[in-house]
Amino acid sequence: MQALVVVAHPCDDSFTHAAAERAVAGLRAGGHVVEVVDLYAIGFRVAMSPEERQAYHGEMPLVDEQTREHARLVQWADCLVFVYPTWWSGLPAILKGWLERVMVPGVAFVFDERNGKVRPGLRTVRRLVGISSYGSPRWTVRLINDNGRRTISRALRMACGLRTRTKWLGLYGIDTASEPVRREFLDRVEATMGRLR
Amino acid sequence: MNVLVVHCHPDPASFISAVRDRVLAGLERAGRVVRVTDLYAEGFDPCFDADDRRSHLEPGTAPALQRHADDLRWCDTLVLVYPTWWSGQPAMLKGWIDRVWANGVAWTLPAGSSRVRPLLFNVRRIVVVTTHGSSKLVNALQGEGGKRVVTRALRSLCSRRCRTAWVAMYGVDTSSADDRSKFLDRVERRLAKL
Repeated sequence: MQALVVVAHPCDDSFTHAAAERAVAGLRAGGHVVEVVDLYAIGFRVAMSPEERQAYHGEMPLVDEQTREHARLVQWADCLVFVYPTWWSGLPAILKGWLERVMVPGVAFVFDERNGKVRPGLRTVRRLVGISSYGSPRWTVRLINDNGRRTISRALRMACGLRTRTKWLGLYGIDTASEPVRREFLDRVEATMGRLR
Repeated sequence: MNVLVVHCHPDPASFISAVRDRVLAGLERAGRVVRVTDLYAEGFDPCFDADDRRSHLEPGTAPALQRHADDLRWCDTLVLVYPTWWSGQPAMLKGWIDRVWANGVAWTLPAGSSRVRPLLFNVRRIVVVTTHGSSKLVNALQGEGGKRVVTRALRSLCSRRCRTAWVAMYGVDTSSADDRSKFLDRVERRLAKL
């Protein structure tokens, strides 16, 4: 497969970056081709700009070279992997902004002006993977509805094909997780990604 | 009643901006004291950066965010006005939450505990006024993530009796001018009745 790994954490020495590295190592060991987009490292702009909003329903909603490049990567990939910390039960703003600025009409979906129907644009994506750390324990995450996960495994999933499968790897209660628990999670990330087909 | 209205849309001529105007009209009719934060107009920086991350366990926000933190502690009613994108808050608004709802402002973590304790006891009501491009059914299938972020995650940091209200227009992409004008009237009525 051709995998695009999108990473969102402000610190290079974060657990999120460690998980992303292991995910990439696993994918490569499994014989997959990997491209990585590290949103903070490239200084990705978080919020959609007024120009982007105005262009959104026009001919070319991608207004700069960076988002065009990312859109090309999305169309190249048949596996999308998101690695991020869950904040306030959702995606970090920078990752949410990436969805808003890159997953635009013509890339993630096609908006039919005549009948208002939205058709999926990511039919070539076979796999959606989320890898996230949570401050809260698992039962709290469940109770609050894990909205970041739903954004990916439902909202973004709807933009994919019927056969797209989603995979979720979460480390819960990370603030109190011991070293062995963290290590075990990283091993699991690498092993799972290596087995991905 | 002290009301903080947080408005988020990149285009000042958008439908959401018309919605915001009717929110303010409704609040004025009811004689509320209102503060407005327009995130795009003030050029708010929504990027939770490495400095924010490093100071995450120290109480307080960066000096640039002080006014936002003060507003949040001042209000008893919080009104969020935004378009729902990818089933949730726009990144700009999510960034405001990530950065302003900080340690010492919205929550505290007692030593040795893994459970966050709320601090925004002053907030007794959260009202969301939003538009969804897709239908109510599609949003239900997607799990209404944006709604749950507010009614579950944010609400848990407010007063124990905090009530939430959801004033939403679904299917705005396919709506008629008449539907939209009806929604605007509903918004004003609802906000005047708080």
